[in-house]
Amino acid sequence: MNKEIEKLLFNPIRLKTISFLMTVETCNFKALLEITDSTKGNLSIQLKKLNEAGLIKIEKYFQKSYPTTDYSITKKGKSSFEEFYKQLISYK
Amino acid sequence: MTKQEQLNAINDAIKQTKTNLKPLGFNLTFWSIVIISMSLFHYFFPEIVQYSYYSAVIYWVSIPLLGMIYTTYYNIKSGIKIGYETQLDRVIRIIWAVFGLAWIFTVGISLLYNVNPVQDILFLLGIVLIMTGLIIKFHNITIGGIGLLIFTVYTYYNPGLNLLLVNVIGISFGMLIPGLSLYFPKADFMLHYFHVVEEEEEL
Repeated sequence: MNKEIEKLLFNPIRLKTISFLMTVETCNFKALLEITDSTKGNLSIQLKKLNEAGLIKIEKYFQKSYPTTDYSITKKGKSSFEEFYKQLISYK
Repeated sequence: MTKQEQLNAINDAIKQTKTNLKPLGFNLTFWSIVIISMSLFHYFFPEIVQYSYYSAVIYWVSIPLLGMIYTTYYNIKSGIKIGYETQLDRVIRIIWAVFGLAWIFTVGISLLYNVNPVQDILFLLGIVLIMTGLIIKFHNITIGGIGLLIFTVYTYYNPGLNLLLVNVIGISFGMLIPGLSLYFPKADFMLHYFHVVEEEEEL
């Protein structure tokens, strides 16, 4: 497995984010804050890192003139998580 | 983070994903009340609704269209509040959007050929309710849909029935009761109702 991805998912906030996004189609920032139980600033940084690695997709748009951001997992993110999970299970 | 901690983090995140069925319960209840009220009003005051051919058309098209705008607004708002959409939510949303389009198409065709669309719409509704019930594994909706379908087939063989009353009976049993039972989860809505009544009596 790619060492960089393994290192990325070693962080609990990033791991929880990817795990949650595996089970949903899209999700907003507020829901991710509740799931990861982290601060806004910290979560933003972790999401940016996941996006830069190509594991998640960030879509920004306006809804009723308010800026909204949707997060979803990419194909690369799905396959990376599956590989990571298989590896975790095999260690168990 | 140990391997076990990582597995726990994954499990915790996955466990928090829940398909919220309350908006679907609200939609079913809302539309049932709208259609039943409209049918009863039309039944008791035909001279107002059928003042002219176009007044009946405007009555049966404009109010549901306003309802569509309201439910679209409600669904967007509840979607933002929940914060995420599961695969199941998406499937249900697409099925009901297709039903909405089919409704517009059926009403359009009925206007062109001057036929009553009630039976066709009830038939479509029955199928969509069965699909929804089977997908979300909620028996009340599946049974409601089957009941509505049987009732609609029965009306095809009894053309003398008043279609406004058919609408009221079909929607009450096929949509209103399942919708209410979905809106009040965990307990049967009738139990919930009796519980509320008992509490009010105690007061």
